[in-house]
Amino acid sequence: MAHHSRRRVVITGLGVVAPNGLGKGAFWHATQAGRPGIRPIQRFPTDNLPLRVAGEVNDFAVEDFVDRKLANRTDRMTHFAFAAIQEALSDARLVLAQEHPQRVGAVIANTQGGIEYALHQIVALHTRGPRAMSVYTAIAWLQVANVGQTSIRFGLQGYCKTPVNDAVSGLDALGLAFRAIARGAADVLITGGCEALLNPYTLLVWTKRGHCAVGDDPRMYRPFDRRAAGLVPAEGAGICIVEEYEHARQRGAHIYAELIGYGQTNDAHGLLPPSSQGKYYSRAMCLAMQEGSITSKDIAYVSLDGRALPSSDRGEAEALRSTFGTDLEQLPVSVPRTMLGHSHAAAGALDTITALLALQHNLIPPTINCEELEPSYGLNLVRDEARPLSQPVVLLGGRGVGGANAVMAIRKGA
Amino acid sequence: MSFTTSRRVVITGLGVLAPNGIGKEAFWQACLAGRSGIRQISRFDASTLPTRIAGEIPDFNPEALGLTPEECIHLDRSTQLAIAAANLALQDAHLINALTEEERDRTGVFMGAAMASIEEGESLWVQLTNGGTQPLGAITEDIWFSDSLFLNNASAAAIAAHHQLHGPSTVISTGCSAGADAIGQAFWAIQEGQAERMLAGGTDSSISYTGINVFSIMGALSTRNEDPQRASRPYDAGRDGFVMAEGAGVLLLEERNLALARGAHIYAELVSFTSNSNAYHMTALPADGAPLQQLLRRALAEADITPAQLDYINSHGSSTPPNEVAETMAYKAVFGEQAYRIPISATKSMIGHTQGAAGAIEAIVTALVIQEQVLPPTINQELADPQCDLDYVANEARRSAVNIALTHSSGFGGVNSALILKRVD
Repeated sequence: MAHHSRRRVVITGLGVVAPNGLGKGAFWHATQAGRPGIRPIQRFPTDNLPLRVAGEVNDFAVEDFVDRKLANRTDRMTHFAFAAIQEALSDARLVLAQEHPQRVGAVIANTQGGIEYALHQIVALHTRGPRAMSVYTAIAWLQVANVGQTSIRFGLQGYCKTPVNDAVSGLDALGLAFRAIARGAADVLITGGCEALLNPYTLLVWTKRGHCAVGDDPRMYRPFDRRAAGLVPAEGAGICIVEEYEHARQRGAHIYAELIGYGQTNDAHGLLPPSSQGKYYSRAMCLAMQEGSITSKDIAYVSLDGRALPSSDRGEAEALRSTFGTDLEQLPVSVPRTMLGHSHAAAGALDTITALLALQHNLIPPTINCEELEPSYGLNLVRDEARPLSQPVVLLGGRGVGGANAVMAIRKGA
Repeated sequence: MSFTTSRRVVITGLGVLAPNGIGKEAFWQACLAGRSGIRQISRFDASTLPTRIAGEIPDFNPEALGLTPEECIHLDRSTQLAIAAANLALQDAHLINALTEEERDRTGVFMGAAMASIEEGESLWVQLTNGGTQPLGAITEDIWFSDSLFLNNASAAAIAAHHQLHGPSTVISTGCSAGADAIGQAFWAIQEGQAERMLAGGTDSSISYTGINVFSIMGALSTRNEDPQRASRPYDAGRDGFVMAEGAGVLLLEERNLALARGAHIYAELVSFTSNSNAYHMTALPADGAPLQQLLRRALAEADITPAQLDYINSHGSSTPPNEVAETMAYKAVFGEQAYRIPISATKSMIGHTQGAAGAIEAIVTALVIQEQVLPPTINQELADPQCDLDYVANEARRSAVNIALTHSSGFGGVNSALILKRVD
């Protein structure tokens, strides 16, 4: 490792748009109680689709967060991002007018772009001709729309990035923000992920590929269960205000946690779901733990990827075993996103927010639906009911299609 | 506050697929000769569109560039271009199939992409909905799609898989700055010790009915259909929009001591990556180029150089009327009198705008400029724009001593990024 001056990086504000709760209060209330947000899909007919349930955000009023003109020029993904950003800024009590605009930026992950907006426009193009397409199509569609619109709305002139890395995109966003602030490229970054991928086309492609579950059972997202048959997709957004420690301290901000280590590796096994080999995922865990100077005794729980495919679950269990050895029996692990569904680029950010609230409330949120835990995994899985929490660190794991493994370590307070 | 490290990063391999040439040598010769790769669109029927020209790569043979039969069948074109560019970069660095397991564990892949699976996404959607007239779900049998459809991190993942690279990997999708951002982030990753080597660059291939029309409908594209090779003309008074293109560029970045130890050929050292955001408009810069001014000032400060030391700029130069005025204003504001001395060239004049690949291909040109001490031209300079009165290396390549060079990109969404490269003694 290089020796270099490094600044400390903390999280001071949270914003949530999740299927089981809009806003951090409602979200935590549902999450600590194990209350799911996976339901039959409401926003479009599902008669011809192999999958008919999802983690849909149903009670979302766009006009509460985005003015009508902008709402018509942006996709649902950006609406979610704006709602979460509004809450996060207010939660952090951050007054942007008092900040140097060139020192403030945004890192917002997204995988599918504004696909709903784009599909409407592609239909218009193919049925009514080139001039029927909205002039805003490109800027509503591209993943960069989220940071672009955010920087305009909030006057952010600093570092802005858009990681696209399947299911680890949201953790990658936090990782990029962590590195950028640590090395001095920014002081405050609006960081997280947003995703609005629930449309018939995406669901058809994913189910045909075998990357998600099929059917209409709202309880079928069951990682580490011997019946595991894939994840249930979801939409939403999670935003954290990530800030340099001295900057946060000087303005008297509440500090939820410090980002203390990040590890990222790749299984290099192709464009497939997370591998059954845990070697490189374990390396990502070790990198994050080494950087944060932590051992298994410091860890309150490990928030797992929980892909809910037997081979991927086996790979995750193997990674944990090779990282923690015999300590694994005692180490609580959980997949709180079983309550939400997998919101891809938003997932890593929502997992992080869940962990920050867990540390604040001293409760490990549960994994639901895992009724027949596969014993050979050897996991101490927090199931169905929240469990008390005492240690200060949470390890957040994620794995994506294409082989990426990402692990973030956060420590309560600072 | 400024970051300090003893780890330095050098460029030791270049791989490029552009409309005017595949591979470093063919591409560079085409650039020096001022050869345009813009032509009539052949990838789809563009007859109903106001723009019917683009920078297509005419004879891309993935198998000849080392892709496996599976990759040739199961991946979309932009992912194939990315793997091919990575293969060329590793070959160029004499590291193809030569890295040990330990070295591969410490090698990662960062790629930029702006448009991802638009071409395939559109054609499958049209097939599934009978041209947009039927609801989805009526036709679902026997459909085929690539492994990369909707998997917008496919380029980085596929390169990592092909070469068994286990270091950090991701895709950055900051529009037209994506390629430069991927290189910049990879530079940081090596500096900070997260990797020893990184393949970094960008790829895009979205010359489709939708891919063209989303920009056409905004009035962003050139409509000089009758004269494709003269359509992309940054800085020239007759410019009327950018020309869409496809391409891929990948660089091998390497920690300097490792490169020196293995006696690698070093094109240049990467000395700074700077990035900011316009906070102004999704598709435009303020007329005075104020955000670009801030970017350039910070880039010089971070590289610890003065305008007098800057020998060459490979600009964003997209052939968009307001862009080049803003660029020129920013150069003058930041470089003062030096702005008239520093030669500037726009690679997009010859290959069009390769979107997520543009920043990477332009970084490759910049590295070659430093090695060869020759400046490729900005072509199609015929009628001077009085607001663009700097040295754009008009029409002809020329020799020039270049020790320090800068390349910058600006994108839809407002992200601007700059890289500074330095000659190695």
